[in-house]
This record gives sequence, structure tokens and C-alpha cells, in this order.
Amino acid sequence: MIGRKIRSLFGNGDSPQISAVDISKIAPTRDERLFLILSIFIGVISGLLVVCFRVTIEWIKILTLGSAPHAGQYRLLLAPALAGLVVAALVQWFFPAARGSGVNQTKAALYIYNGYISFRTVIGKFITAGLALGAGHSLGPEDPSLQIGAGVASIIARKLGLSKQKLRVFAPIGAAAGLAAAFNAPISAILFVIEEVIGQWSAAVLGSIVLAAISSVVVERRFLGSEPMFRIPAVTLRDNRELFAYAILGVIGGLLAFVFSQALGYLRPRLRALPRWTHYCQPAVAGMLVGAIGFIGFPQVMGPGYEVMDQAMHGQFAWKFLLALALLKLLATTLSFSSGTPGGMFAPTLFIGAMLGAGVGSFEKLFFPHLTGTVGSYALVGMGVLFAGFLRAPLTSVFMVLELSGNYSIILPVILANTIAYLLSRILQPVPIFEVFTHQDGLDLPSVEEQREETPLHIEDALQPLSVPVVQGRDTIAEVSATLAEAKASAFLVQMADGSWYAMTVDELTGAGAALTPDTPVERAAKADRVPALFPDLSLDNALPFFPRWPLLPVLNRASRGTLEGIITLNGVLKRYQAV
Amino acid sequence: MSVFGLHPALTAEERIEKRRLILRDFIALFTVFALTIVLGVLTYFLFASFSRHRDVLARRWRANGERELNSGHPKEAIEALHAALEYAPGQRSIEVELAMALAADNRNLEATAYFNSLLETQPGNGLIHLQLARLAAKQGEAALAEDHYQSALDGTWEGNGYLKRLSVRLELAGYLISRRNYARAQTELRTAAGNAPNDPETQLKIADLMVQAQDPADALDIYRALMKGKSAPLQAFEGAGRTAYSLGRISVAHEALERAVNHPGFAAQNEATRQAVKQMLENSARILELYPGPDLRVRARAERIANNVRIARARMASCFANANAGGEMADLQGQWQQIPVNLSVRTLERNPELEQTTMSLVYDTEEQTAQVCGAPTGDDALLLKIAQAPLAVQQ
Repeated sequence: MIGRKIRSLFGNGDSPQISAVDISKIAPTRDERLFLILSIFIGVISGLLVVCFRVTIEWIKILTLGSAPHAGQYRLLLAPALAGLVVAALVQWFFPAARGSGVNQTKAALYIYNGYISFRTVIGKFITAGLALGAGHSLGPEDPSLQIGAGVASIIARKLGLSKQKLRVFAPIGAAAGLAAAFNAPISAILFVIEEVIGQWSAAVLGSIVLAAISSVVVERRFLGSEPMFRIPAVTLRDNRELFAYAILGVIGGLLAFVFSQALGYLRPRLRALPRWTHYCQPAVAGMLVGAIGFIGFPQVMGPGYEVMDQAMHGQFAWKFLLALALLKLLATTLSFSSGTPGGMFAPTLFIGAMLGAGVGSFEKLFFPHLTGTVGSYALVGMGVLFAGFLRAPLTSVFMVLELSGNYSIILPVILANTIAYLLSRILQPVPIFEVFTHQDGLDLPSVEEQREETPLHIEDALQPLSVPVVQGRDTIAEVSATLAEAKASAFLVQMADGSWYAMTVDELTGAGAALTPDTPVERAAKADRVPALFPDLSLDNALPFFPRWPLLPVLNRASRGTLEGIITLNGVLKRYQAV
Repeated sequence: MSVFGLHPALTAEERIEKRRLILRDFIALFTVFALTIVLGVLTYFLFASFSRHRDVLARRWRANGERELNSGHPKEAIEALHAALEYAPGQRSIEVELAMALAADNRNLEATAYFNSLLETQPGNGLIHLQLARLAAKQGEAALAEDHYQSALDGTWEGNGYLKRLSVRLELAGYLISRRNYARAQTELRTAAGNAPNDPETQLKIADLMVQAQDPADALDIYRALMKGKSAPLQAFEGAGRTAYSLGRISVAHEALERAVNHPGFAAQNEATRQAVKQMLENSARILELYPGPDLRVRARAERIANNVRIARARMASCFANANAGGEMADLQGQWQQIPVNLSVRTLERNPELEQTTMSLVYDTEEQTAQVCGAPTGDDALLLKIAQAPLAVQQ
């Protein structure tokens, strides 16, 4: 009964009772105002759901693996295998969209499905990812949290009957909220969503993303505490020579990111290409193999592994063990993810990075004790290194480390190591891993990496020398006509008394001259509008919309707006585009 | 002007539609708000229940870990404490216990790394320095161990820092003794003795360590001070007896050993200890019978000297008979030849100088024969004991 009432109030959700045209007339600013209010609600609800998600994972872990899983327990083999069977059945029969990490699915919702993420997907992701992660599959909760947040945003926006444009941008807002709560790091979440999901800086959604991310983190901290995900040890750069060690970490991280990408890029499509019936047991087999790794002595690789990262950060493992954990986690994650088990790549990436960093740090501390800082510093930088190299989010990777550590003294090593890892990874594997996945899934989504490769054209690229007459607004029509006759030009520029410019064709002047006397100033023959102020450094795309109105456009000097740099014409712009 | 902005050209129907829209949005927002509240309450109860369960698990695993550590099963302790930390992350006391378990399991590198990382967050923590000192000592890094011990002494301690520092100092002294660095060990022990509380257990420990650090004189002072107490411990009497005996202060040793044997707790000592104490008591009694002390009457003193001369002469003869010893002991033999074989008590009584000379000869004989012919037994051994510190016997 209550449900029916709510449905009648909301409409049926996907087809609002009041059309977008009507709303734009009777309440033109409604969407913008709702946008900000709903961003806060989305943040709060996402935060609450992420807390529930985390608690669910922990409960399932205790129930399936026990409160202190350790090597040699048969449940380490059984729990992930059985959970894999259940998860596979749920994904195949009920929640097909819950497969995968959640980042690409959110991106696809944004670019292909107008921001649509179904309620079933949200529920499915929550249940299947919670079950898989709790039972020990080597995946993380961040990407599912991102998708859950995006789903929440999408559902709320649909139910409120917002316009299609608003609906589309709501998913990233929810994604930022979900990720921020999962990470307890709002800046990194915002940057990641902008870097990887939206793909561009958009002032229209930035405010909402920030509001949603902050709301969700406030809620998350209310429950899980304001401490960062890891207890951050003292982070120092003791000696500038230590930067060399961080550079080595960057190189190793870049190589490992490449290996990780290659392993996933190789195994995932092959497993997906196997007969359909195998999809029901692939997560179970992967779970059993991951469990076997735990069974033989490395239970640390099971599940997200935050506590292990924390321990590594505090120097609680020897370097050989740390490197073994990094490699085994890489293997376990490749198996879990390629089998189609729902779960994210963030936590495994951070895990591998932390183990690698701590391993390198411990090794150096052992053999060069006078040179190295804390192992925790290396583990933190290692996380950023893998994040930059594997997920290809260099900006997020730097801010993530700074946000997690709360210490800016580590910025030099972070930037150095992350940049090296990022560049090395780009050289070795030009296509980022999320893009590889989208291609494997038959999708073609825009990526920031592509945009980085692009060289956008600027107005200066189509700039032509000033070849048309320039007259003053106070010049008479007769004088101007004489000038035009002499120059044999079809158009000319008029500088108005207030410094603005007007581009006029000879036909326009002739038409106006018929109704005016020859000694009338030419500015009276001009219409009320003026040419836009264009500068050489602006994108050439900015100029195109003005050509139907103006025969040519003057390009001004930024330092002296009265000075012309040249002109651009439609023909010249088109030629420049064709020359690319 | 409505919250949705003014639109002047609205028809009457559009105005109605707009009101409906406002109402619908209001109800929708209210519903979202209500759903948020419901979700918040559910999350609260779920999280509260989970937190309680985590606390229970943390306590349970910690207790398991401590039990395993105390029963000498460090491997099991490590697993349990790891689990405890998972449910109570960052709890320092568990972290320290975990590091101790790692050390106990001889995972020294891990334990050192663990303690070092703990030290980074608490640089002056005495307990962590102490653990690092133990690990360094275990790994044979003496300088590092001593540095950490010193830092532990200078560091901060939770609870009674005074007693904990004393305990560290005693441990450092023990370590220095094991390294045969007796001089520094003695210094540390004297400092400890100067600051130690008056409880017999601590005093006994210090005294015992002083004995090991080759400082029996200071140890004896502590034992004797303890002996003055109302319910002086048996160990104080035994310690005083042994130490005094080793210093040649036989009179003191005899008194202490006699009180030890008469102590109610003596019967509870193990057989070997009891025998050793009794033997020492017998020896000290006999030494006091042999010793020609200055407080004896002249006659008695002369009799003891005459007896000692007889014992030493026999020892000399027996040792001299050894073919190898002849050359080495020719000088001593010459001195004995100057002493009349039938030296009478009366002669000795009349000649204090002769008493002194003959006793010196007795002591020299016991010392040289011990070197040449091996350790003596019986009264010879006791005379040798006196010879080592004749003036101390009755101190």
C-alpha cells in the first residue's frame, strides 16, 4: 500500500508524468536546485550503503573463513569455492550486470545508457561482491562501492524525473560518493571519477561531486572512524639520495603493472570465450585456487587485505615474504577477476603496490640502513606506483598517497616514482587496463588516456594575417564604401567606440546604406550584437559556432584587446581541421 | 516568487501544474529523507552489532595469544595476536605482545622490524627499546643491544617506571656479565643497589648478580644487611655464607651458614644445596679451629701453629717426594730444614716472631704445593684457604 503511494507520487520512475518540456517552462531552474540537494542525499545514502557493504563483507568473512583464518584450514579451500558457485549462479540468472569491477559499467551507464543503472544491478552488486569478497576472493570493495553509489544516484534521479542531461551526470556523482566512502579519501575519489569516469573537468558537476563525496565520507567516518584506511607510520624523506631508491621502486612498479595488465588481458577473454556452462563454475575454480594459495601458507592474499597492507606498512614482514605476497596477490587477483567474479581492482592494486613498496623498503633497510626512511613510506609510495602504472590514474595516485598519509613531505618520492611507473607502463602497454576490458566487452568508451594523446587545435593554428579593411565606427558610410572599393574586399572589420568589434559584409553595408545617408557613421549601420572576443590560445572548436552569423572573426591580443592578431574564416578553419 | 524561479507567462493551467510539481518534489524529497533515516537506523544497528562482535573477538584472540605465549607456544600466539589486531587495529599493547611473540618464535627480523616500526611512532618508549635490546642481544649485536638497554633506561614507561627501569638495569647487568664486561656490570649494579627498594627479593637479585659480576664484597654487604631483617630469607644467609667464604671471611661465613642451616626453610632446599651448605659450614668451622687468630690465648695459638706446622710439613714431604717437584721446591725445602722437626708449643709461645715465620712458611707451603702437586684436600685445603687471605678470616 505504502509502496503504491510512493510510486504514485514518484510516477513510474522511468517515464515521469510531467514532461521535460513542461518542466522547463513552468520551473526552468528546478533541475539545478534539485541537483545540489540530491547530491547531498546521494552522498549520505551511498555512505550508509558502503558502511553496510563493508560490514557485510566482514560478517561473511567471519562466517565463512572464521575469525582468524590461517594456513592449513580446509575452509580456506571450500569457502571461496562454494561462494564462487553461488555468486556465479546469481550473476548468470539474476544479476548479469553485476559482473566485473563496476568502473566500466558506470562509465557505460554514463556514455551509453544515459546514466541508467538499474536497482537490480545495485542489489546484485551488493550481494554478489559482498559474498565473493567475504569468502576470500582476491578482489576489492571500492569499485563495487563506486557502482553502488552510481546506482543509487541513478535511481534517485530517475524517480525524481530529472531531465536526461541531469540524469546522465548523476551517475558519476554517486560514483564519487561511493568511492569516497569506500576509500575514506574524498579528494582521491573526486579526482578518480573526473579522471577515469567522466574523463573531463566539468564545472557543471564538480560542485555536486564534491558535495556528494564529502557527505558520504562524513557518514562513513561517523561509523568507521575518521582514521585513514591504514595506520600511517612516520613518513619521511631522510636523505635526498633516497630518491634513487624510490625511482627504482617506480621502475619495478611499472614493470609489475605491465605484468598484471598482461595477465588480466590474456586470461580474461580466454575464460569468457569458454562454453557458457563453464561460466557457472569459473568463479568456484578461481576461488578454490585462491584458497589453495591461502591454504599453503599465504592466507593474506585472500579478500581485500587491508589489514595486511597495514601490517606491511608497519614493517611487520620480511622483504622476501612481502615480494612473495605481491606476486601471489597478482596471481590470485588475475584468477578471481578473470573468472567474472564481481569485485574491484583497487584494493588488489593497492595491496600489490604496498607489498612491493614495503619489500623494496625492507630490502634497502636491511642492506643500506643509513640511506632509507621508514618502510611505511615505501609501502605508501608503492601503492601510488601501482595505482599510476596499472590503473593509469596518475593524478589520483599522487593525491591518494598524500591524502592517505596526510603528509606532504612524501610528495617528491610519490611524484617521482609514480611518474616513472606511469610512463614505463604507458610505453610497455599503451592501452590502459580499463580500456582493454571495455574493448573485450565489445564497448568503445572514451578514455582520458586517449584525450591525453590528442593534440587539440587552437585558434592560432587557423589564424590568417589581417587581409580585410579595418575601419572605425565613426567613419562615414561613404568613406567606408570608398575604402572597400579600393580594397576590393567582400567583408571588413569595424572597431566600435567602446573597443568592441563588428564584422560586416559589403552586402550588409549596402543594405543598410539604402536607408541611411552617406555621411552616417558606419556604426549605425551595424546591428546590436558584436563579434565574440577570441584569442589565439583558445580551442578552435570555440570559434565554429559563430560562423553562421559572422563572415570572419577577428582574433585579439590578450595583452591589448585593441590590437588584432589576425582573422579566422570558416574556410580557413575547415581547411585546418582537414589538414590534421 | 516561487522557489523554482519566476516565470511571468504562465497560464492558469501551468500554474496548477507548477504547484503539483512543487508538491510532488517536496513529497519526493521528504520520502528520500525518510528512506535515508531508515537506512541510517538500520546501518547503525548493523554496525553496532558488528562492533560488539569485533570487540569480543579481539578480547578472545588476545587472551588466547597471551595464554599461548605464556605457555611457550609462540607460533600459536602469533596467529592469535594477529587475529586480535585485526579486530582491534592499532592497539599498542597487542602489537607489543605480537612483536614479543615473533621474537619468542625466533623470527628476529620480523620482530625487529615490528618493534622498529612501533618505535617510530613512540621514539622514547622504554618497553620497545628493551625488546629491541633483547633482540639485538639474541642476534649478537652487543653495541646495539647496550644502546637499546640504555635507551630503555632513559625512556618512558607506563605504570611504575622506577621499578621497570630497575628491572631493565638488572637485565643489562646480567647481559654485561654474560659479555664478561664486569666493570660496567658492577657500575650498573651499584647504581641499582643505590636506588633499589628494600624488598628482599630485589636485594637478593642484585647481590646474586654482584657475585656473578665478581663483586663479592658489595654482594656480601647486601646479604648481611638482609640478614639483619626480622624474617630474613634463607637465600640471604646462604648468599652471605658463600660470599664471605669466598672472600676468606670465614668467621662471617660460619655465622651465616650456621643460621642458614638452622633456618626453617633449609629443609625444603634440594639435597645438593643442603649438602654444599653443610660442607661449607663444616669447613668454616674447621678453618676457625685451625686459624691461629690474634684473639686466642698465647698457649692455644701456639698449639694451633704447631698443629698447622705438622700438617704443612707432611704435605711438603709428600709433595717433595714427587721427583718432578724437587727442583721447584728446593727453596721451600731449605726453609723447612731451618724449622726444627720437634718444634715445641712452648718454643712457639716464647717466640712470637717464630710464630709468624712458621705460619708464613705454612701458608707458602700450602700455596706452592697446590701449584706443584695439585689441589690439596682435608686440612691442607683449609690451610690453603686461610693462606689466601689470612687477615680476613676473623674480619
